[in-house]
Amino acid sequence: MDGREKQILRLENVVRDFGGLRAVNHVSLQVEEGEVRGLIGPNGSGKTTLINLITGIYKITEGDIYFGAKRISGLQPDVIASLGIMRTFQVPRVFRDMTVLENMMVPALSQGQTKQEAKTRAEELLEFALLTRLKNEPAKSLSGGQSMLLQIVRVFMNKRLMLYVMDEPFAGVHESIKGIILKTIKAMNQEKGITFLIVSHEMTTISNLCPRVSVLYRGGIISQGTMEEIANDPLVIDAYLGGQ
Amino acid sequence: MGVLYCLMSLGINFIYGIMKVINWAMGEYYMIGSYVLYLLVTFPLGVKYWYVAVLAAAIAVFFLGAFVQVLLIKPMFTGAIGERGEYGTIVTIATAIFIRNLAVVIGGPYIYTPPDYAGPTNIGPLPISGNTLVALMGALILLSLFYYLIKRTWVGRALQGVAQNRIGIQTSGVNILKFDMLAFGIGTALAAAAGALLAPVYLVYPTCGLVSSVRGFEIIVIAGLGSIWGVLVASLALGVVESLGAVFISPSFMDIYGFVLLVIVLSLKPYGLFGKEERIA
Amino acid sequence: MQTFKKYAVLSLLLLISLLLPHFITDYWIYVLTVAFYYAIMAAGWNLLGGYTGQFSLCHSTFALIGAYASALTIVKLGLPLWVGILSGTLLTLVLSLGLGIVCLRVRGIYLALITWAFAEVIRTFIRVAYEFTGGDRGLNSPYLFRSVKPLPYYYLFLGLTVLAIILIAVVMRSRIGFYLRAIRNDEVAARAMGVNTVRWKIFAFMLPSGLAGVTGAFYGHYIGLISPVLGEFNEMAMIIIFVVIGGMRTQAGPILGAISIRYLMEFLREWAEIRIVILSAIVILIMRFFNGGLMEFLRRAGGWVRKKDAVSAYASMGEK
Repeated sequence: MDGREKQILRLENVVRDFGGLRAVNHVSLQVEEGEVRGLIGPNGSGKTTLINLITGIYKITEGDIYFGAKRISGLQPDVIASLGIMRTFQVPRVFRDMTVLENMMVPALSQGQTKQEAKTRAEELLEFALLTRLKNEPAKSLSGGQSMLLQIVRVFMNKRLMLYVMDEPFAGVHESIKGIILKTIKAMNQEKGITFLIVSHEMTTISNLCPRVSVLYRGGIISQGTMEEIANDPLVIDAYLGGQ
Repeated sequence: MGVLYCLMSLGINFIYGIMKVINWAMGEYYMIGSYVLYLLVTFPLGVKYWYVAVLAAAIAVFFLGAFVQVLLIKPMFTGAIGERGEYGTIVTIATAIFIRNLAVVIGGPYIYTPPDYAGPTNIGPLPISGNTLVALMGALILLSLFYYLIKRTWVGRALQGVAQNRIGIQTSGVNILKFDMLAFGIGTALAAAAGALLAPVYLVYPTCGLVSSVRGFEIIVIAGLGSIWGVLVASLALGVVESLGAVFISPSFMDIYGFVLLVIVLSLKPYGLFGKEERIA
Repeated sequence: MQTFKKYAVLSLLLLISLLLPHFITDYWIYVLTVAFYYAIMAAGWNLLGGYTGQFSLCHSTFALIGAYASALTIVKLGLPLWVGILSGTLLTLVLSLGLGIVCLRVRGIYLALITWAFAEVIRTFIRVAYEFTGGDRGLNSPYLFRSVKPLPYYYLFLGLTVLAIILIAVVMRSRIGFYLRAIRNDEVAARAMGVNTVRWKIFAFMLPSGLAGVTGAFYGHYIGLISPVLGEFNEMAMIIIFVVIGGMRTQAGPILGAISIRYLMEFLREWAEIRIVILSAIVILIMRFFNGGLMEFLRRAGGWVRKKDAVSAYASMGEK
């Protein structure tokens, strides 16, 4: 019972089918509160699908997902967001015709903060992310890396954020921006106790950032442990090097 | 009748399949086709060569359509336009209004009557006007030509490829912009052919495109976007429903039978009979 | 300073429009009153189609429904005028709720198609049920005011326009405005950021439609004879034209567009079709090249003027 209470996210035998294709195959996963967990796997292994399932964009074919004690499988994405689970997208999805500042304010407003509160908090976060000079620019004028950064800090506007799922936050991002992202993750994790589940291809970054890593291959979890452990796991080696 | 509406909706659906744009001006191309036919038949050619006139109308509008496409639609795909979704709709709507009113400016708000194709005859026990019969045959010929084009020729298969996978097909060296232009031209030519064929039936005047374009879009809604066979089925269904309704219930309500069918179909299958559901994320 | 200037301009415009009828002929008062109707319709459509990105082609249909519902309630049921208007409003709200729910799952092109279908179904129904509605011959809608004078109607529609402007401005400035714009920009991201897209899409549908219904009802009682023409595709296209030329996704654009174009159209009455040819050509040009409409044009002109001032100020500084 004790172990379960510390689990902020629990997937039990989750299956997702798309017609004839089984994208997620009986995945069971537990993430503890306060963890920074990595999720890696070769292309097409179902990582984004899994994120979509957790955040309610896809419905589960079989299985259950729990957020703490609450069953969240089947809830709408905006409800799940209000419960404290938020995510970023592999290709940054920002509100292109709204300014950077306005982009930031959206999750705060939907949470119930006043415009003034949201504005203040947004300006603080933008300061932290070194994006202040862009705050009145339309988001569409941002570079790819800047959009990713905006996407990432935007989520922190949610005061009740507890679990942050990131989909390839470092993909194609300039080193300096990557540094800011890493700094942000570490700060938020240590100061606010926010749990992270990070999907990424960048092995070095993940091994520096995540004490524990889960490996997804062809829709199933094939290994879990520290980066060292899974790097030596024959199943993992096979998955990455062998044929698919 | 259903077969003729089919030409319209085929054109609309075809263009949508290739470019994901609904051309709201299809009725106006129909109207242009009618006018061209009228002009050709009344003056130089005479009724005996009506089929030449129909072909000429179709070909003329083909080029017109291609021209319009290059001018207005192509920029959607070459990055010059910001808001693609609303752009296509607004521009085609504006084009429709433009052409419709231009027709009044040029030709006047009069109704022109092209000469009949043939006298009234009978199919079995049902009387049918010679014009409608001729139009029907013409439509069937065109449809089979279209089928042949799509299924048997290289061009047709390339177009199918574009409809199925716009990005993928470019890797096979297909110049997608040229095919866009081709598709638009074909689509509008189909509408014009319908207009030319039906000119003696519905007569020729600036808003004569409305009746058929309404039917054309009705069929699209019923059949769902993106499916050519669906359009065929739906057009026949519509034609049948309208005729039956006109005969058994009342001819004055003819417009509404199609819509009743539409409402019924939509409540059961919101994407249309053969429509494909859109993926969200 | 900017806000003060804006309110000053608005107050001035309001003052002008309040005093104007005393300086112009009855005919032009009529023109302006009708223009107000279109201004409200344009502003409403801008909220749904412009800001929220839900491209609806049945906006004028709701005005049609409002007008007919109100007229029929009064004529057939003998109920007083305000009940008519209320029923018109309620009916449009209910129908737009239903339609909004149906349209939740459909995107862009499909939405246009389905709203188009709805518009045609309603219009055809009114034409076909002619024993009840008068069909193509039209329906006599009881006049709102006893007198035939144009002034009360002018102020009524002016008042409605001002209310509509305020309502839309308040909504767009509030958090709802953020939600609607986010929905248009990226619905999935909006949901992921906690926006209840279902609720707000339906809201975006119902508010303008209800507004159209009320305005349509009043309009019916103003012009006296209503017919299915009010809900024709042409009407819808004109509304879109007003919004595009005035400036989509701006507060003042649709109003400005509607009023100025209606005024212009009246001016060019003899050129009946040519004026529309020109208008549609302008719309095509704007969409193709400019995409901002009048408001953007004014803004850039203002910016250019300011730049010129700055440049000449700088230059004169150099001379010292």
